Amino acid sequence: MKALFSKGSKNGASNPPATAPPVKKDLQVPQISPLEKRLQDMGSIRDDGSDKFYGMENYGNTCYCNSILQCLYYSVPFREAVINYPQRTPMDSLEAALAKNLRYQNPNAHLEAEALAAKQKASSPPSARQAGVPPNPNQKPEDKESPEYKKKVALQTLPILETKNNAASYGMSESLFTSLKDIFESVVGSQARIGIVRPQQFLDVLRRENEMFRTAMHQDAHEFLNLLLNEVVANVETEATKQAFTEKALPPTESADSLNMLTPSTGSKSPNTTRWVHELFEGTLTSETKCLTCEKVSQRDEVFLDLSVDLEQHSSVTSCLRKFSAEEMLCERNKFHCDNCGGLQEAEKRMKIKRLPRVLALHLKRFKYTEDLQRLQKLFHRVVYPYHLRLFNTTDDAEDPDRLYELYAVVVHIGGGPYHGHYVAIIKTEDRGWLLFDDELVEPVDKSYVRNFFGDRPGLACAYVLFYQETTLEAVMREQAQENQAPTTAAADTSEAGKSNGSPFSPPLAHAQSASQVPPDNTTSSIPLSRIPTAPQLSTYPEEPLEPHPASPRPVQPPLPPIPDEPAPPLSPKKSDHQLRKERRAMEKEKDKNEKNRLKEQDLHNREMQRREAEELKRAIEASRADTVDFAENGSPRKSSSFGFLKRGSRSLSHRLTKDKEPRVSTSDLSTSPLLPEVVPEAPLKDAEPAQPVNKPVESPVSSPRNFPPISNPKQPKQPIRSPEALVKDQHTNHTKPGHTPRWRSFSFKKVA
Amino acid sequence: MFVLPPPPPRYTIPVAYAAGAANGMAVPVVETNNTITHPENGCPLQVGEGTYILQDDLLLATPPPHPSEAPIINPNPLATLPTPPTTGVKLSLVTLDPKKKPPTFLKSAVTAPQFGDGNPALAAPPVAAKDASKRRKPKNNIIKSSSSFVSRVITHETSAKRLCDRDWNGVFAFANINRAFQWLDLSSPTKEEHLTKVLFTKAHMLCHDINELTKTSSHLDIVMGSSAGDIIWYEPMSQKYARINKNGVINNSPVTHIKWLPGSENLFIASHANGVLVVYDKEKEDALFTPEANGHSEQEIGRLPLDILKSVNSKNQKTNPVSFWKMANQKISSFSFSPDQRHLAVVLEDGSLRLMDYLKEEYVCAMLIEQYDPQLTSSRVLDIFRSYYGGLICVCWSPDGKYIVTGGQDDLLTIWSFPERKVVARCQGHNSWVSCVAFDPWRCDQKTYRFGSVGDDCRLLLWDFSVGMLHRPRVHQASTRNRSSIVVPNSQTANRNRADSGDNRMRSDSNATAKFNDDIEQTSHPVEPRSRTALLPPIMSKIVGEDPTCWLGFQKDCIMTSSLEGHIRTWHRPSDSVIKS
Repeated sequence: MKALFSKGSKNGASNPPATAPPVKKDLQVPQISPLEKRLQDMGSIRDDGSDKFYGMENYGNTCYCNSILQCLYYSVPFREAVINYPQRTPMDSLEAALAKNLRYQNPNAHLEAEALAAKQKASSPPSARQAGVPPNPNQKPEDKESPEYKKKVALQTLPILETKNNAASYGMSESLFTSLKDIFESVVGSQARIGIVRPQQFLDVLRRENEMFRTAMHQDAHEFLNLLLNEVVANVETEATKQAFTEKALPPTESADSLNMLTPSTGSKSPNTTRWVHELFEGTLTSETKCLTCEKVSQRDEVFLDLSVDLEQHSSVTSCLRKFSAEEMLCERNKFHCDNCGGLQEAEKRMKIKRLPRVLALHLKRFKYTEDLQRLQKLFHRVVYPYHLRLFNTTDDAEDPDRLYELYAVVVHIGGGPYHGHYVAIIKTEDRGWLLFDDELVEPVDKSYVRNFFGDRPGLACAYVLFYQETTLEAVMREQAQENQAPTTAAADTSEAGKSNGSPFSPPLAHAQSASQVPPDNTTSSIPLSRIPTAPQLSTYPEEPLEPHPASPRPVQPPLPPIPDEPAPPLSPKKSDHQLRKERRAMEKEKDKNEKNRLKEQDLHNREMQRREAEELKRAIEASRADTVDFAENGSPRKSSSFGFLKRGSRSLSHRLTKDKEPRVSTSDLSTSPLLPEVVPEAPLKDAEPAQPVNKPVESPVSSPRNFPPISNPKQPKQPIRSPEALVKDQHTNHTKPGHTPRWRSFSFKKVA
Repeated sequence: MFVLPPPPPRYTIPVAYAAGAANGMAVPVVETNNTITHPENGCPLQVGEGTYILQDDLLLATPPPHPSEAPIINPNPLATLPTPPTTGVKLSLVTLDPKKKPPTFLKSAVTAPQFGDGNPALAAPPVAAKDASKRRKPKNNIIKSSSSFVSRVITHETSAKRLCDRDWNGVFAFANINRAFQWLDLSSPTKEEHLTKVLFTKAHMLCHDINELTKTSSHLDIVMGSSAGDIIWYEPMSQKYARINKNGVINNSPVTHIKWLPGSENLFIASHANGVLVVYDKEKEDALFTPEANGHSEQEIGRLPLDILKSVNSKNQKTNPVSFWKMANQKISSFSFSPDQRHLAVVLEDGSLRLMDYLKEEYVCAMLIEQYDPQLTSSRVLDIFRSYYGGLICVCWSPDGKYIVTGGQDDLLTIWSFPERKVVARCQGHNSWVSCVAFDPWRCDQKTYRFGSVGDDCRLLLWDFSVGMLHRPRVHQASTRNRSSIVVPNSQTANRNRADSGDNRMRSDSNATAKFNDDIEQTSHPVEPRSRTALLPPIMSKIVGEDPTCWLGFQKDCIMTSSLEGHIRTWHRPSDSVIKS
C-alpha cells in the first residue's frame, strides 16, 4: 500500500513530462476506441499488470507468437510467476531499464498522414475524371473498418513499448525466459494502459536458439506454445542449478531473502521454486495397458504440458477428450510386449489423466495428414467448446477429479491450410471481459463472440488452442451474477463493438445483442425517475451527438501534443474537494484556450485543403444527380457542418459523400471563431457527470469515469492519488476476482526496501 | 407523468438472412419448394420393442434473403459485430383427434387453479358467446398486411381445397426455418407442399406454440417469438395476426421459448434471452413496461434469484405484460410445465435448473412439505440445481411429473427426481451438446420411462430407465460427506426442509434481500461428483443426418426430428409397440 503511494508521488516527481501518458482529453477526443471505452473507469494503474492491454507488433507472420504470448500474459498465475521469478525487478530500476522504452506518439499522426493523402488525392483528381469515373463513389482508399486499417492507425498513434534485454538485473543470462520476462515486466511497469509492445528482442532470441522459427514463414502456434513452455522450464532450471551452485559457496544473499519474502504466497509445496511452470501447465497421464493374455494391467505415467486431441465432425471438446481416453486395441503388428507372460501379446490400452493441470491447454488437431494429398490439410469440423469444462477421462485415484475449468483464452487460426493464415487470440481478462487480440489491435468483444469459432462459419476461422484454467463453482456463480450487470459500460461496449471491425457489408444492426445484454428494465426500471432526464444515454443511442460516430467522417483534427496539458484528474470527483475542482476548471479553460489557438492554426491549414475538397465535391455533385438531390434534402449545410466539424468532419471526400450525407461544402469558409462556443456545451457535462451515479458500473464505486490513465500529476506531486480507503477497496476487488485460487490471489507486489 | 427514454432502436436494416448466412447455412437465391425423399432402408432405429423405420425426410426450403438485404460477399471472420440469434427448425404439432392424445399418468385430474386466480383485475370479462366457432381472432389480416415486419405470405394455390377435403383428425405442423414460417398438413398425401408460408422481414421466428385448449377445426391460436423480441399471435385459418411486444416495447431481447399457460385461453409465457420470463395476454395491448415497486434497489435487480418486477397480482392489468419475472442476467434456454400444471422447470445458460411454483410466483419449496403444512409453501426456498458444467439447453418433465430431464453443454442428460430434489442419474452418450429432450408417453408406465434426445452431434438417442435401477446403492455409498441434498427417507427430508423454510419465511418479507442471498447458499444444490452419480447408457444411438438435430417429438404412431438445415424426419413405430396402460 505504502509502496503504491510513494510510487505514485515518486513517479510524479521523477517522470520527465515527456514520458507522461497522453491523457485522453474529455473534450475533442477525436475518437475513442472501443477498448478505451471499456477501460474508462479503471481507476489507478495497478501493479500486477492486470490492467494493461497491449497489442503486439507483427514482424511478418509472427502472429503465432503474439497470440500465444497474449494468452500466457493473461493467465494470472503464469504472469505473476514470470514477473516474480527469480525476483521482481524493483519499480525504479525497472523504469530505468525497461519502461523508459515506452515511446509516446502523436495520437493524431494518422490523421495528419491522411490529410496528406487527401491532399495528394486532391491534387490529382483529373486522372479519375479522365477515366470517366465520377470521382466520388466508392473509391475509398482504405476501408476504415477493416482490421488492417485499424492496426495501421494503432501503430501510428498508440504508445510503443520497446523491450530490451534486462537479463543481467534478474541475475540470469539472456534466454527465452528472460526476454519473456522483459516483455511482461515492461508491460506491467509501463505507465500507459494501452499501447503496442514490440517483441523484437524476444523473437531474436527465439530465432537465435531455434532454427525452426528462423524463417519468416507461418508457424504453428501450438508448436510454439509447447516450445516456449519447455524452454522456460529449461531456462529456469539451468539458472537454478547455477545459482544453487554459487549460493553454496556464498552465504545466503539479500536477494535470496527477498525472494523468500516474495514467493511464499505462491504456495509451491516443493521448496524448489523453479517448478512453477510444472505446477501450472503440467498434468500426468497414465497409460493403462491390460494384457489380454494374462490380464495383468501395467501402468506408465507420463507428464504433459498440453493435450492434443483428435477431432470429429459435429463433436464437442468433451467428446474429443473422451475419445482421447477411449480404449485402444494393441494387436496385429502393434502388439504389446508383456513382461508378465513374456513376448508380444494383444492388449488393451487407454490413456487417462491422473493429475489434472491447473491450466489446461487443449490443442485441437485441425491439421491432419491426408494420405491421398500427401500433405497436411485443415479440418473445418464443427467442434463446440463450452465456457466451462470438467474432465471425464480421469483415473479413479485422481485428486479432485471433478475440478471445474473455465475457458479463458482461445487461439483462433484463420486460413485454409496449415502453411499460411493468421492467428488471433480471444482472451477473457480479469475484469474487463473478453478482448480480441489481433496483433497490434485490441478490441473488446461480446462473450458470445467466443462461440464464433466452432469451425462451421464462413471465413475459415476456427479455434485451434483452448486454454482452460481451474476455477470454482462459487467464482463462476459470482461472475455470472455480475455479467451484464453494469448497464452503461456493457451497452457502450456492445454498441461500439457493433460498429467496429465489421465487414463493410455487414448490416449495422445495432442492438439485437446489446439489447439482450442490457435489458431495458435494468436501465429504465431501476433508475429513480427523477434522475432520468439527466442520465446520459450514450450507451444505447448511437445517434446521440455526444458519441463520435465512427462511420461518419472526421475532421482533420489539430494534432494534440504528446504532453498533456491537463493531467488526469487524480481524485475521483466524488471525493475531490472544491479547491481541486476549481483548479481543474481553470485548467480546462486554459486548455480550451490552447485548443482554440491550435484549432485556429489548424483551420488555416485546413482551409486550403478544404477548398480543394469543396471543388472536388462540386464536381462530384455534377457527376451524380442523385447526390445533388440528397444534398438538397439535407437542408442548411452550414449549421450542421459547423457542428460536425467538431464532432466528426471528414478525412476522405469520397467516404463522406457516400456514407454521410452531411454536406461539408461550407467548412471551407468556416471562420475560426465559432469553434469556441461549441466546446462549451460539453464542459458542464463533465462536472455534472459525477452527480449521476446511475450509469456507473456497480463494481467501481470509487473511480471517476473520466480520469483515464489516472496517474499522478507531475505538477502536483503532493496530491494523493486516491484516498486510502479507496485504495484498499480497489485492491480488495482486484484480489477477489474469480478465476484464481487463493494462493495466487494473495500474491501482490511489495516494494522491497 | 414521467417520460421514460424510448426503447433502444431496432435493427436498422433487415438482418434475417445475414444471420442465417453468418451461421454457416447455405442460403438460396430464389424461393424454392420443400422436397421430400423416402430413403429405402435408411436409418432404422433398432430397440427392444422392434424397429422404427424412417418413413420420409422432408426438407424445408430455406427462403432467399429479403431483397433489401445485401448478401455478404466476403465475410470478415473476426467481425465483432454481434449477430442476432438463430435456431434450427422447430415444430409445433397439433391434431384434433382425441385418440392421438398422449396418455396421462396423473392419478387425479389436474386441479391447479388458474394463473392469477385471486386477482379480480385479471378476471376475464364475461364471454358473450360460448360458441367455439366464435373465438376471438386477431385483428390484422396477414396477407394484406402492410407491416414492415411481415415480408409476404405465400399461400398454396389449392390450400383452401386441401383444407376442405382433409381428414380433421390429421396432424398439422408449424415450422420455422430462417425467416420463414410454414404451415404443413402432415396427413396430406402431398405433405411437402405447405399450406401457407409466411416470410418475415426483420427477424427470425425462434419458437412457437399452439394453444391446446382453444383448437378447433376452424381456429388455432399460435404464438411465436422472434429474434427481435416481437411476438406474433397468428390464427392460420383466418390468416389473422396480431403483434405483441411490438418493437420490444416490453422486453426487447430475443424470445428463446414460448408456451401457452396450460389451461388458459389467453395467457402465454415467453422466456427472453436476458433472463426474463414474461406472461402476456394475447388480447391485451402493449404498454411501455415500468417495473412495479418491490422495494429492491437498482443494483439488486438481476442479482436476486427471482425478482418479480410485475406480479400477476398487480392491480394494473389493463395492458401487457401480465407479469414480469427477472430470473438472472443469463439467457433462459428453455422451460417446461409440469404435468400437474403447477410447476415450471426453467433451464438457463448459466447451467442452472430452477424449479418454480409459477402460480405463486416463487421457486418451489419441497413438495413433501406441501402435504404436511400447506402454509409453508409460501416461504421462498430456492431450488437451484447446477449442470455438471456448461449451460443447460433443454428440459422436460416425465409424464407423471416425478422426474425432470435436462440436457446441456456437458453432453449429458441429467435426470432429477422432483420429489427428492436430487440428481438421479447422468446419461452419457451424446458426442456434443444436447439440443432437445422429450419423453415418449406411449412407452412409459408406472415403473419404466422412455425418453429420447437429439443433439449437435446429429444423433438421436433413446433411453430407458426404471425406478428400480435408479435406486442403486452406488449413489449412497459416500453419503457420509456433507451434502445439502441428502438421500434420506422422506420424513427426514421434510423435517429438515420444514426447519429451513420456517426460518426463511421469517425473513423473506419484501426487503430482506441481503438475507435472501444467504438463502441461496443454503438451498442451491451443489454439483454431485461423478463418482457418486449413477451413469445411464442409451439403449439406441444413431446418426440421423448430416447437420445438427435440434428438435424431437413423439407421436402416437411415429418419432419425428428436425434439423438445423430443415430436414424433418419421421420414423414409424413398430406395430404394437405402444404400451397399453
